[in-house]
Amino acid sequence: MQPEKFYYDNKIVRNFGIATVVWGIIGMTVGLIAAIQLFQPGANMHNQYTTFGRIRPLHTNAVIFAFVGNAIFMGVYYSLQRLLKARMFSDMLSQIHFWGWQLIIVSAVITLPLGFTTSHEYAELEWPIDIAITIIWVVFGWNMFGTIFKRRERHLYVAIWFYIATFVTIAVLHIVNSFELPVSPLKSYMVYAGVQDALVQWWYGHNAVAFFLTTPYLGMMYYFLPKMANRPIYSYKLSILHFWALIFIYIWAGPHHLLYTTLPGWAQSLGVAFSIMLIAPSWGGMINGLLTLRGAWDKVRDDVILKFMVVGLTAYGMATFEGPMLSLKQVNGIAHFSDWIIAHVHVGALGWNGFLTFAILYWLIPRIYKTELFSKKMASFHFWIGTLGILFYAIPMYWAGFTQSLMLKEFTPEGMLKYPNFLETTLQILPMHMMRAAGGAMYLLGVIVMGYNLTRTALQGKLVANEAAQAMPLVPAQEVARESSWHRRLERRPIQMLIAALLVILVGTFVELMPTLTISSNIPTIAAVKPYTPLELQGRDLYIREGCSNCHSQTVRPFRSETERYGEYSKAGEFVYDHPFLWGSKRTGPDLAREGQKYGNAWHYNHLMDPRLMSPGSIMPEYDWLISQKLDTTTTRAKIHAMRILGVPYPLGYENIANRDLDKQAKQISDNLYLDKIRVKNNREIIALIAYLQRLGTDIKANK
Amino acid sequence: MKYHRILLMTALLLFAIRPAMAGDDSLIPGDVMNYIGFGAIVSMLLLFVIVMLVLLKTFKILTRVVLKQQGLTAAEIDAEMNPVKPKKEKKPKAAVWEKLLSLKPLTEEQELLIAHDYDGIQELDNPIPAWFMYLFYCTIIFAVGYLLNYHVFKTGQLQYAEYRTEMAQADIEKKAFLSKAANRVDENTVKLLHDPVVIASGQAIFKSTCAPCHGDHAQGNVGPNLTDDYWLHGGKINDLFKTIKYGVLSKGMPTWEKQLSPKQISDVANYIESLHGSNPAGAKAPQGTKEADTDQKLVANK
Repeated sequence: MQPEKFYYDNKIVRNFGIATVVWGIIGMTVGLIAAIQLFQPGANMHNQYTTFGRIRPLHTNAVIFAFVGNAIFMGVYYSLQRLLKARMFSDMLSQIHFWGWQLIIVSAVITLPLGFTTSHEYAELEWPIDIAITIIWVVFGWNMFGTIFKRRERHLYVAIWFYIATFVTIAVLHIVNSFELPVSPLKSYMVYAGVQDALVQWWYGHNAVAFFLTTPYLGMMYYFLPKMANRPIYSYKLSILHFWALIFIYIWAGPHHLLYTTLPGWAQSLGVAFSIMLIAPSWGGMINGLLTLRGAWDKVRDDVILKFMVVGLTAYGMATFEGPMLSLKQVNGIAHFSDWIIAHVHVGALGWNGFLTFAILYWLIPRIYKTELFSKKMASFHFWIGTLGILFYAIPMYWAGFTQSLMLKEFTPEGMLKYPNFLETTLQILPMHMMRAAGGAMYLLGVIVMGYNLTRTALQGKLVANEAAQAMPLVPAQEVARESSWHRRLERRPIQMLIAALLVILVGTFVELMPTLTISSNIPTIAAVKPYTPLELQGRDLYIREGCSNCHSQTVRPFRSETERYGEYSKAGEFVYDHPFLWGSKRTGPDLAREGQKYGNAWHYNHLMDPRLMSPGSIMPEYDWLISQKLDTTTTRAKIHAMRILGVPYPLGYENIANRDLDKQAKQISDNLYLDKIRVKNNREIIALIAYLQRLGTDIKANK
Repeated sequence: MKYHRILLMTALLLFAIRPAMAGDDSLIPGDVMNYIGFGAIVSMLLLFVIVMLVLLKTFKILTRVVLKQQGLTAAEIDAEMNPVKPKKEKKPKAAVWEKLLSLKPLTEEQELLIAHDYDGIQELDNPIPAWFMYLFYCTIIFAVGYLLNYHVFKTGQLQYAEYRTEMAQADIEKKAFLSKAANRVDENTVKLLHDPVVIASGQAIFKSTCAPCHGDHAQGNVGPNLTDDYWLHGGKINDLFKTIKYGVLSKGMPTWEKQLSPKQISDVANYIESLHGSNPAGAKAPQGTKEADTDQKLVANK
């Protein structure tokens, strides 16, 4: 048999590489602006499109799906071709994949600041974009499996197992979490409500971390680390064990994001138990990586690329140990909703995803440009400023998290909250927020230096767009000797591998989601809970548009410190009409689940116009545009109709008269404001938002 | 001997100071006494260490002198003083590390290589480290135990039971504290006070808590003017206490029961009473009914 000659497609790798760096810088800059707003609210330039509530989702989407996403495709397209000894299946599909993905990101950059959001964290994009993501993801899978089918390598290497698991699980997660009913071209309601919606969202949210930020990166680590260090992978057996254990266990852990909420107790406990069991499988990847460097540690001293890898793997190890610890309910009671979680995710994101991406870029760009890295000194500077940046970011955030949580839980001997005013605890941690922004700026500076360094590298070399390679054609399967190990046999069968991975992740999915979604006794209903009035519903959509849930939670946990501060703890039955749920995941401001009727309408009006009038020192942005903008009531009809389809008991035909009720309620509020010398037309957005805020948590009055 | 003398002197000095300090009990507070005590103990310990070091040095020198008198040469003395220790066979650090992690030495690596490579990447057939498996088993046992604890044997409290326990415990503590403390005051027992300390405390609370709605000088803003004769919910000290404590939700006055202690509510109510008739600039128009009684009583009190 003659070796076959073929060419690797390096151009697509280069394109994804450029996109990684460009989106990385953009995404992190947006993050920095958001961070500055947390001590200097004026940094939103008094502009609705750049307020924290709207750009925080932009930051997370940009760094996860644009920066990390493009980095994944860069790494996969580079390593897949070489591990399979084949060019990508179709250059056309590669192009569609690349440009389609960039278009999706651009649409996110446009729609999120405009306030088009589903409010589901890390899945904020509205339904037309969700469909586009599905299509492009299928294109990616098609291209990947096409390449696998025309491979010249019988067995699939461990990196490819991770790529396959990533592909199939993200597809399942994205589709299930995007069950939404369109109301208009850029607005939809989630099909599930309240507790059920929360469970679906955090099953998604947690596993987006698992299968977008973890498994593809483990796959890339398995290819690039042995290449960089020129060492064999430490243990093939460990690869098998930790791969299957990781994907099986990870999918169960989602409910640990909902501890002490109204999620049924059994689901919460399953989330905790599986999170703890996740420690070893997660560490399997780190151990296999660090032990691969055995005998190459002298290289780590000199090679900045390996330094990035080592810090990245260590950050991964720390984050995956901390995660299970955070899922223990005693720890979670303190850490949840606080800056501790922000520190936790950034150790993972900046350390593991960021540093691995940088290492791969520094390694790969000179290779596809057939040249040397432009400046090793600059790369070294990047490593040190990046590491310092992570420390400056994480340590103040940990400190801020502990401080604020403990302050919020402190009581005086009289049995009163020591800090009854939430704002007091916020003001205490503002210096930490400043240091965090400084840490973020350092990290960003490093990335910009890398961008320059890589650009100069590319300019001094020449892209080898089609890299020649040769390999023996595949021996027909029937001529290959039967292997004794079952896993060896599975590695030859990509479709069976795909199905096996799918089945493994579906076990946890079904056990946790199905009972909660189908057995009604898991969500006890409350007769007093009524659907929102049309005005409140419109107000709720404004709450979603402005991204209020990025800073305000809407669920009171059963803790003395919370029931004293906010009122009776939340009940599952209170959220049955909440499409989507708005529990939030962070309390930069106080919980709002029982905000209704706590203050007068005038207080809310003044507070939204300028929060510092009513709460001196507050870091909430001003929402004065709500006063000047007219509420769009043409959508009421479609919204009421959609809600009824989803099971909200509005009477038949109510959509036709809904706006009449809306006007009536709006007039009541504006008349009431007039008593306090506030003149505002009743067709303004602020009226709807006040109506919604005054309704929150008022359906049950259990605490009196 | 000199050092012994210092030691003796110090001890004596301390003995001399002791009665003097005891005599000045009233002048030096207890915690300062404690610090002085700690300081003395630490400095004594330091002194002791120094003395021991000096003694050691002295003995070494004395030994040299004695050995020299016995006619030994300098080299012989050195040899005598610093005997050559038999060198211990030290395990290389890496080997210990490798054993702990159950790693095979790198030299045996060739035998472990799997005869296959992917784009030049080879894999070793190392066993999964034993400690890794133990870690995995331990977490599985923990997880099973966790589920049994909360859902089968029900020995652990789930969140609502935990909440009831927490509240019951807090109630006991609160009652115990309030039965001792003198600040048990409610809307029926609250008294009108003119104590400047009370007024000052009330003022501080007012500035941070009430001013956003009622204005810096209680002239009224979102909330009503609190300095005139007109009251929506009564102007007596008991009425004020009640309004602050429970709020008037329909009119936008929040409940402060959970945020201010009874003593604090009493202080701020007294502060508001003290502002009566202060006629601040930019006062809001009167709201509610005129209450002449309160007024007269206040004037009489002044």
